[in-house]
Amino acid sequence: MSPVDRVAHLNRWRHRSLIEKAMLALGMLILAVLLPPFPAAAVIAVIMTAAALLGARVPVSVWLACAAGPLGFLLSGAISLVVQIDANGLALAPGGLTAAAGLVARSVAALTCLLFLALTTPATDLVAGLRRCGLPAEIAEMALLTYRFLFLLADTAMSMDAAQAARLGHVGARRRLSSLGSLIANLLPRAIDRARRLEIGLAARGWEGEMRVLTETRPISIAGVTLVLALEAGTAALGVVMS
Amino acid sequence: MHIMEGYLPATHCAGWFAASAPFMVGGAVRLRRIVAERPQSKMTLAAAGAFTFVLSALKMPSVTGSCSHPTGTGLGAVVFGPGVMAVLGTIVLLFQALLLAHGGLTTLGANVFSMAIVGPWVSWAVWRLAGKLGASIAVAVFLAAALGDLATYATTSVQLALAYPDPASGIVGAVLKFGGIYAVTQVPLAIAEGLLTVVVMNALSGRAGKADEIRVLSGEEQ
Repeated sequence: MSPVDRVAHLNRWRHRSLIEKAMLALGMLILAVLLPPFPAAAVIAVIMTAAALLGARVPVSVWLACAAGPLGFLLSGAISLVVQIDANGLALAPGGLTAAAGLVARSVAALTCLLFLALTTPATDLVAGLRRCGLPAEIAEMALLTYRFLFLLADTAMSMDAAQAARLGHVGARRRLSSLGSLIANLLPRAIDRARRLEIGLAARGWEGEMRVLTETRPISIAGVTLVLALEAGTAALGVVMS
Repeated sequence: MHIMEGYLPATHCAGWFAASAPFMVGGAVRLRRIVAERPQSKMTLAAAGAFTFVLSALKMPSVTGSCSHPTGTGLGAVVFGPGVMAVLGTIVLLFQALLLAHGGLTTLGANVFSMAIVGPWVSWAVWRLAGKLGASIAVAVFLAAALGDLATYATTSVQLALAYPDPASGIVGAVLKFGGIYAVTQVPLAIAEGLLTVVVMNALSGRAGKADEIRVLSGEEQ
């Protein structure tokens, strides 16, 4: 269902330690938001794009497909920084282009950080990481169960959708809406049924309300951490000095 | 409407996280209590969260011809209740950022506030109010879903405007600008989602057998 999830499991850096990847992505993300956009944003965007495409060998097509949606939002939002509303109606805002360029630069830099994290690290690893950072066990478990159900339900929804399309259920907006309505109305009881079946299955095996699964912890490489810290320190220094 | 990664300045990110925190913690406490009392409801809650996520991956025909996706906030608020939706919505938004690159991590607080808190609470309040005023179920559901969506969109516009006020007309002008740009997609979306939710609730009401499980989630039955 999600090409992001597939790439997150198959990329070359899948087996690098979570700490290294999270430090790189989140560290750079924080720098992108905190530092003035020029020139830090450009440096961050280049480093993170290179890390994703060259380091982790994320397919360029997937990377671009993921970036397209947010970029559409960004460009339409940036328009409103360029214009201003005054007594005469719409006019070009003084310094609007600079403000919009700064916003675009910062957002693109932050987006490359998010894409790097999303495309190199499976969501389950990240939730396990959050658990270690103090997220309550119940919530972490809920998130992992949600993740599991998500793919099951998406499969069901996709086959329902295909069945409707094959029966002319997508002809015209009106019929499309009623098809989608019946799809959703059938999906919810199925989701709850499925949950109940899973729960009965677990109860039959003596489940007491806690799920224990094996998680692999990867050794942290000192060289990797040092490199990440050096890159971040360099970017921060550059961002502060040059701006 | 998701605010993308990096769009808001650092202070605003922190501010919206702080604004969402009480609701997230309140929802989490409530959720822990539900789970402690009946461990089996864990599965149902997870299924409900996944259901909300899958809704956002479905294409919906919109009036302008562009395809958009339902948000499911109205449906979730009416069926599960707004308290639980804050936590489920946060989990769903996190996964949307990580699996679809929709939204972001720094803007998670702002997105949670508009989509998992304001939207569901408005939907729920409208649903209750319309019911009290004697509106038919179809009208109440339509209003709940459509106004919930519009409230989310208005909140997002205000969040963007607070971050980037208009140089001449200030925050009010900025709200108009951001609101105007996104109205093209968001207003038809709200109407379409309202209609869709009516169709869903009509079809669901024929299946009262599952009502007991849903009532447990919304906290009406302890």
